[in-house]
Amino acid sequence: MMILVIGGSGSGKSSYAEEVVCSIFEEDMKKYYVATMQIFDEEGRKKVERHRKLRSGKGFLTIEQPRSIGRSIEKMDAGRKTVLLECISNLTANEMFAGETPKLEMQVVQSVISGLEQLRKNTTNLVVVSNNVFEDGIIYDRTIMDYIHAMGEINQRLAAMADQVVEVVVGIPVVMKQ
Amino acid sequence: MKLVIGGYAQGKLAYVLEKYRLQEDVVWDGILPDQTVPGQKTIVIDHLHQWVKNRILDGGYPEREIEAFLNDFEDCILISNEIGNGIVPLDAFEREYRERMGRILIWLAKRAEEVERVICGIGQKIK
Repeated sequence: MMILVIGGSGSGKSSYAEEVVCSIFEEDMKKYYVATMQIFDEEGRKKVERHRKLRSGKGFLTIEQPRSIGRSIEKMDAGRKTVLLECISNLTANEMFAGETPKLEMQVVQSVISGLEQLRKNTTNLVVVSNNVFEDGIIYDRTIMDYIHAMGEINQRLAAMADQVVEVVVGIPVVMKQ
Repeated sequence: MKLVIGGYAQGKLAYVLEKYRLQEDVVWDGILPDQTVPGQKTIVIDHLHQWVKNRILDGGYPEREIEAFLNDFEDCILISNEIGNGIVPLDAFEREYRERMGRILIWLAKRAEEVERVICGIGQKIK
């Protein structure tokens, strides 16, 4: 089963996604947290720390995978597993802006989606957290607009792949696809 | 307390005034009153996000202040923009504001007896 959780910044999507994982988790499974965020400064470190605290005591095994998300499977044990992937906006940015020049939008979409397809195939339950980055009404430079566009395309494809899509609004889950 | 959220220019205030048959004189724009006008039972706080932003700018503690306010004025309708649905701002203050605003709205939504999201002037009850 695949569940897509989407929400804005500070919407409570992470804690909701963790609740979902804990509710679908079964005793014979391993529980993985795939982290995509790269830490560059104190603010990033604090953010990771906050998320770590949220997860602590819930039995997650953490895998750091800022790019090439399909390869995170190589770091997991065989057998039944529930995987929480957080989050698509960081993964997409890491894929796009890794090199000296940004990668093409379609290339980024392809690599994120094929990685996610692999993950889906090799996990019992997959919960994916993504962001709503679409509604601030600002026209950014070309590179950022390409990023936003790639995110939109990726979100649409993930929603099509998912069995369930939930938007989290001020901490409240609103089911969009069931 | 009721919480009404939504994007910019979605007709939130008009929706609230019509739904609850209220007049403009019960509306406080971007401020939390110390006391209400005699005879006003329900009050409406519009642009709550603007109040939060101003309090952070002034070095205040909006999380604590709004809790104190609600203890005095439980019968109110809070209207706020949703500001988290965008690209992470480059400016550190804007990032802090966005994050704290999000957490405040989650806290308010938990406390609220009802939460509605307004899109295109239409209210969607989510709690």
